[in-house]
Amino acid sequence: MLGLLDSHYNYVAVMLLLGIGLYMLVESRNLVKKVIGMNVFQTGIFLFFITLAFRAGGNPPIIEDGGGPYVSPLPHVLILTAIVVGVSLTAVALALLIRIYTEYGTLDEDKLKQLYYD
Amino acid sequence: MTLTLIEGALLVFVLGCALGAALLKDVLASVMAFAAYSLGVSIIWVILEAPDVGLTEAAVGAGIMTILFLLALANTVRPQEDQILERVRFRTVAFVGAFVLVMLATVPSLPAIGADGAANPVVSGEVTQYYLANAYEQTEVHNAVTAVLAAYRGFDTLGEAVVVFSAGVAALTVLRQEVFA
Repeated sequence: MLGLLDSHYNYVAVMLLLGIGLYMLVESRNLVKKVIGMNVFQTGIFLFFITLAFRAGGNPPIIEDGGGPYVSPLPHVLILTAIVVGVSLTAVALALLIRIYTEYGTLDEDKLKQLYYD
Repeated sequence: MTLTLIEGALLVFVLGCALGAALLKDVLASVMAFAAYSLGVSIIWVILEAPDVGLTEAAVGAGIMTILFLLALANTVRPQEDQILERVRFRTVAFVGAFVLVMLATVPSLPAIGADGAANPVVSGEVTQYYLANAYEQTEVHNAVTAVLAAYRGFDTLGEAVVVFSAGVAALTVLRQEVFA
């Protein structure tokens, strides 16, 4: 068990981050905190990809003569795109929250439910 | 590769910040914990030899994201709370705990951190090796990440720009504004 933690520590952290993100998405009553939870969940997945791309003793993938071995550049590209898309997602989510607040005057999930069904 | 002190400290810092973001009741405190979390994560990217991702995370994750959250808070409400921490609901903890246990069960099947050769097909696979071997001759860009992002996958990056543009248009539409003020 401890040996597994020693060789797979980042993956354990990934699963815990996914758990924390999911907990925030389910349990937080404030909608802003739900958006933060979504971001924590996303970053957990990013950590999974970047850890898979890593090799011990590898250099950053900046190609030079006799420079190797390099870590894999492909997951890095994917995650760069995912970070930017994540920010766009957050921006739209927060714009929706501002609109919800101007319409209903609250960001509390339970109060919103009550206002919506009344 | 075994766990070094700096990596262990960073992981504890990151997990602690995430827990803080989850459990602090005050929204502003939660946003600040998330900003510290992004900073820690960007240092982890540098340790994992991904400097491009680290730069983007520090600029976008810790910078722009925090500004977006603060703008949203300034335009909505920061409820006054009398307690510091959220009440933890055991039903949700049990549900999330079951999810985490199922996910943790997959960890032993993953390659050890830092593995190469046949143990880690992501690093040693044919596709990765092709790009590492040919990116410089074909694109004359030293940084393989940039070469893939801007040359081989240029249309994907164009699609990404379309996503950012659509997000801007969507935000303006939702807020019923003509310009960002």
